[in-house]
Amino acid sequence: MIKFKNVNKWFGSLHVLNDINLQVSAGEVVVVCGPSGSGKSTLIRCINRLERIQKGELFVDGMPLHDSTINLTKLRAEIGFVFQQFHLYPHLSVLENVTLAPIHVRKMKKKEAEALAMEKLERVGLADKATAHPEQLSGGQQQRVAIARGLAMSPKILLFDEPTSALDPEMIGEVLAVMVKLAQEGMTMCVVTHEMGFARQVAHRVIFMDEGKIIETGKPDQFFDNPQSDRAAMFISKILKH
Amino acid sequence: MQIFPFFLKGLWMTVLISGASLILGTLLGFLLGMLRSRKNRLVNPLIGFFVDVMRGTPFIVQVFIVFFIFPEFGIQLEAFTAAVLAMTIMGSAFICEIVTAGILAVPKGQWEASSSSGLNILQQLRFVILPQAMKTILPPLVGQYVLLIKDSSVVSAIGVVELTRVGWLTVVRIPEGLMVFSLVGALYFAISYPLIRISNSLERKLTVNRVSL
Repeated sequence: MIKFKNVNKWFGSLHVLNDINLQVSAGEVVVVCGPSGSGKSTLIRCINRLERIQKGELFVDGMPLHDSTINLTKLRAEIGFVFQQFHLYPHLSVLENVTLAPIHVRKMKKKEAEALAMEKLERVGLADKATAHPEQLSGGQQQRVAIARGLAMSPKILLFDEPTSALDPEMIGEVLAVMVKLAQEGMTMCVVTHEMGFARQVAHRVIFMDEGKIIETGKPDQFFDNPQSDRAAMFISKILKH
Repeated sequence: MQIFPFFLKGLWMTVLISGASLILGTLLGFLLGMLRSRKNRLVNPLIGFFVDVMRGTPFIVQVFIVFFIFPEFGIQLEAFTAAVLAMTIMGSAFICEIVTAGILAVPKGQWEASSSSGLNILQQLRFVILPQAMKTILPPLVGQYVLLIKDSSVVSAIGVVELTRVGWLTVVRIPEGLMVFSLVGALYFAISYPLIRISNSLERKLTVNRVSL
């Protein structure tokens, strides 16, 4: 479903992605972790081309992302992206946030899109907030709306960029619960997160990055309990402390 | 000579020139502003240069260029058309800057979220970016309209019989100069004042909204 082949990217002189090779199959849940600045966000932002790769090849759902002539909106319609800061549309109601892309990208009728949106909002437990505006919701609720917004496009892949890092501790659980449910239903997911509990519960693989490189890949339990590299061991001891 | 109907005619001409050029200038200004906010390496410097030239030269000189110099290149315009064209071009430069600033004030995340869900760039602007940018754009935009309406008095210099020109023509015939130009001023004020009030109240309403976000 996703295939990185010797992918490289630089921000100026900073080598953010250094010879990345990675494959994610359909239905797989992959957690990406690593210290800040390790390139993990850049990695998943490349998958829907919010960032462009400069060297190497990247295939997503059969489309070559290193080719600049591909139909970008078509690619992005198939990939949901959940941001750390939610980025809901503040001028639209919750329902309108979710129906916007189905109506204008999928060309659904408004009624149809609304029924679909209500179903997705139901899934994240926020059907009763459909008429509210984003600023009336808590952070955890906003993030769940953002997930519903992604789901409304029936994506083949869902990407999460530190989805719980901007949340108060008591709201992290409600967002993770939604994500766990999606993972168990077989959604293909790439999740940048330090939430070990989530990784252990549903991830098929954990990828550890540092300084733009993939240092280690493993099953969650094996990675967290018995990391192979010193850098991963040090990182795990740090996230365990808090 | 009937003074009052003459004044009304001048007022009407001022409204007509201002109205036409505000509409056209707004359309052109939004187009330029949207283009400029893309920060394209080729287009951006061009628009920037255009804006700087328009802002850095007196409007009366721009009007003279359109009316007296354009004909040398085969573009012969009537005074009215020249006036509307000059005002449209100048207005679009100022409006372009207001629109660009408004678009750039919308957080980058809004672009990323909307493009991630597959909206193309026109859909992004229409449904996500511009509705949010309008909060920043509207108050200075209406303020700019007031300035443009007042600047329309400049086109009296090329013989368009608008409000200011009517003042000139009247004052050479009757001795009450103070009365004539007081009336001219009062009529400009009558058009501008509602807009000034609208601009102020928009500013208040939209800033309060912003804080509650």
